[in-house]
Order: sequence, then structure tokens, then C-alpha cells
Amino acid sequence: MIKKKITIKNSSGLHARPSAALVKTASKFSSDFFIHFYGYKVNGKSILGVMTLAAEHGAELELEFEGSDEKEAMKTITELIDNKFGLKDE
Amino acid sequence: MPFTASEPIPRKEKISVSYLVQKLRERVQLNLTACTSGDCSEYKFVYEVDLHRPGMALAGYTDLFTYKRIQIIGNTETQFLDHLPNSEQIKAFENITGFDLPVIFLTDGNKLSDDLIKIAEKASIPIYSTPVETTRFMFLLRDFLEDQFATQTMVHGAMVDVYGIGILIAGKSGIGKSEVALDLIERGHRLVADDVVMLTKKSNVLMSSATEMSKHFMEIRGLGIVDVMSMFGIRSIRYQKRLEVVLELTLWDEARDVERTGLNHDSVSILGLDIPLIHLPITPGKNITVIAEVIAMNYLLKHYGYDPAKAFQDRIQSKIASKTGDFDPTPRRAIEYFEGDVE
Repeated sequence: MIKKKITIKNSSGLHARPSAALVKTASKFSSDFFIHFYGYKVNGKSILGVMTLAAEHGAELELEFEGSDEKEAMKTITELIDNKFGLKDE
Repeated sequence: MPFTASEPIPRKEKISVSYLVQKLRERVQLNLTACTSGDCSEYKFVYEVDLHRPGMALAGYTDLFTYKRIQIIGNTETQFLDHLPNSEQIKAFENITGFDLPVIFLTDGNKLSDDLIKIAEKASIPIYSTPVETTRFMFLLRDFLEDQFATQTMVHGAMVDVYGIGILIAGKSGIGKSEVALDLIERGHRLVADDVVMLTKKSNVLMSSATEMSKHFMEIRGLGIVDVMSMFGIRSIRYQKRLEVVLELTLWDEARDVERTGLNHDSVSILGLDIPLIHLPITPGKNITVIAEVIAMNYLLKHYGYDPAKAFQDRIQSKIASKTGDFDPTPRRAIEYFEGDVE
């Protein structure tokens, strides 16, 4: 199991579209993926779970991966978040 | 990864007295009247579930005074104060107001004299009075506090009430939990939460609910977010339900043993409580919805004292025991004689 702390960089936070991009990417990997935020622990492959966090710009999330492709999953997802989910910043 | 419970969410550290009073009025329907003016209850906090009756402290013994607890002044304490002459009454009351008490509740319609109220106001200790009888008030207050300070956790799955039995459908992402839940709703069962289920330990049961954000929304792959309550109406949802069975859906794996008799009971420990766990491998042609209903009905049967697996086991054992002497070993049908009408 590997963990990593990350900050949300897009100005409107983790709303529906970024969440969709996140879970779509996460679902490509076989590793389990959880996001910790305050007391929350949600499955990173569940869109409702991710949206429940309502994480704002600057929110610090802790990502947790466990499985055979955990390193690759962490790298891809970190890049996705750092690139503001490949969406134009509204 | 098999179903495991998550770590508990960090427990609430404190609640403010103003929040406590507001919720007691709204949710517990308690009649509370503020006796002190100058509201300081926003800055006073309750840190623990336990309550305290400050009889000994009023009498002057304050060595073990648990002053951080909510203080309850009932009939005993009031009568004790009343039997004292005025000056001593003030002295006795100052024994407790010298400490940083969170709040004082006067139960059973008891009152304190204006002098004493002024002392409390000066010490910024809010006082509320209620007509509710002391023991009953303490029970209601404790129940509320236990709920507020309860241990909670979050699990991934779909929580459904099936025939009154709370079933958590667990399993990996994309295995079809939401689809099974939707199918159950269509058949008249009720959704508690999808995807994010919050579990609260209340005395020795686990209560489940949705989160504030996700309540009664659901994701169906390929379709997106749907609102169950708007579509299926109020009868299709529940706000809370006790968790009674965990149903874990897995992909069929030849190597894995599955339960065949129902005599062995698996369980999973969530927040220290053992909850029955059923592994259900998904195979073509298997109707998970109907199986979920059967699980609920079987649970009910067992709850009312009939265990089908055990009943069958008893039948086999008595049959084996009866095999003595001139026993006829040929197969026997369930009916001894077919009546005339060939139906």
C-alpha cells in the first residue's frame, strides 16, 4: 500500500467534471484506490464518493493505492490532479 | 480485496452548549427554558457523555468533583439548597460555580433563587430548566450525547432495507452493487445510501445512513447520476437503518470455497461489532436481487427461531439414527400415496 498527499489545484474544486475524470482514470487500474479527506474515506473509483468530499481549491487530499499496479496508478492520478484534470479552468 | 471495515472517523471532540440546547429542543422535543441572561452558551463546550449530579460538591466536598461534565440539579440538590439559610445557600452554590462548568440543567421544574442565578451569570455558566423528570431527562440527554460522540466509519457499498432487514451490498467497484440496489428499489425495497455509507455505533448496533451530500443519489454506470427519491418517491428511501447483514459480491473464482450448507456463519468485525457476512460469487444467470430477498427472509426466519440448514441437518441425523435392523434402503418419495386424480 502506498500513500500520497496532494492538493487540488483547479480553481472550482472537485466538482462533477473533475470527479468524473478522476474516477474514469482510476477505474483503468486494478489497484484499490481510496481518498482520505478530514474524516472521510471514500472509494476513488466511485463518482458519488468523490463528489461527497466537495473538495475545494487548495484542499489537501491523501490518496491511498493498493494492488499490483499501485505505483503506476499513483503516478497517473497525481499527474491528472496536477494538470487540473485536463479541463479548462473555469 | 475482501470486505473490511474502514478505520473509524476521528470522534467529535466537543459540542457547544448552544448546539446541544438547540438540538435537544428540535430533535428530542425537550422543553428547555434559559434561566440565565447574557448568552454565553456558544462559548461553553461539552466534552463527554457522562452527566453529574453535584450534591457532594454543593455540600462542600469538591476533591473529586467532575466539573467538566454536564451538571444536573434535581429534587435532591434543590431541596438541599432550600433547607439552608440564604447566606449559606450562596456559599454552597459558589462551591460549584467556582469551577468552569459547561452548563447546569434544572430538572423536574425546579428553580433557583435570583441570587443564585446572578452568581451563575457572573461566572458565565448557562442554566436551563426543564419540567422533565430527572431520571428521564438524564436518560434522554445521555442518549443524545452518546449519539453525538459515537464512533463512526465510512464504507463503500449500497445500503438497502429489504423486508425490514438492513443489507449492505459490498464488493469491488463496477461489480454491480448499485444495479442490484436499483433492482431492489424497483421491487419495493428501500434505499438508505449508495456508494458512501456512514456507520454509527449506537450501544451495540450499527446504524447506517447516507452522507449529507450523497443522500438518495445513485450512480448507474453508463447513465450517470440519478436521484432515487425524485424518481421512485418517498417510499423508496430511508434515512436510517440498522446494519444486519453484509452481502459481498465477488467475481466467480473456481479456487475459492463457497458456502454450500449454510451451517457455517462468516462474519466481519465493524467498529468492534460482528456482522454476519455472506460471500456471493456472481455467475451467469444468477439473480442477485432475488438472492438478496432470500437472504433477508432467511435472516428473518432464523431470527424467529427457524434455521433451515439446521433443520435439514437434524433430519439427516435422525434418518441415519433410524437405520437399524430391517431398514429399507431404497429411495422414498416425499408422498406416501398418490391420490386418484392424476394432477
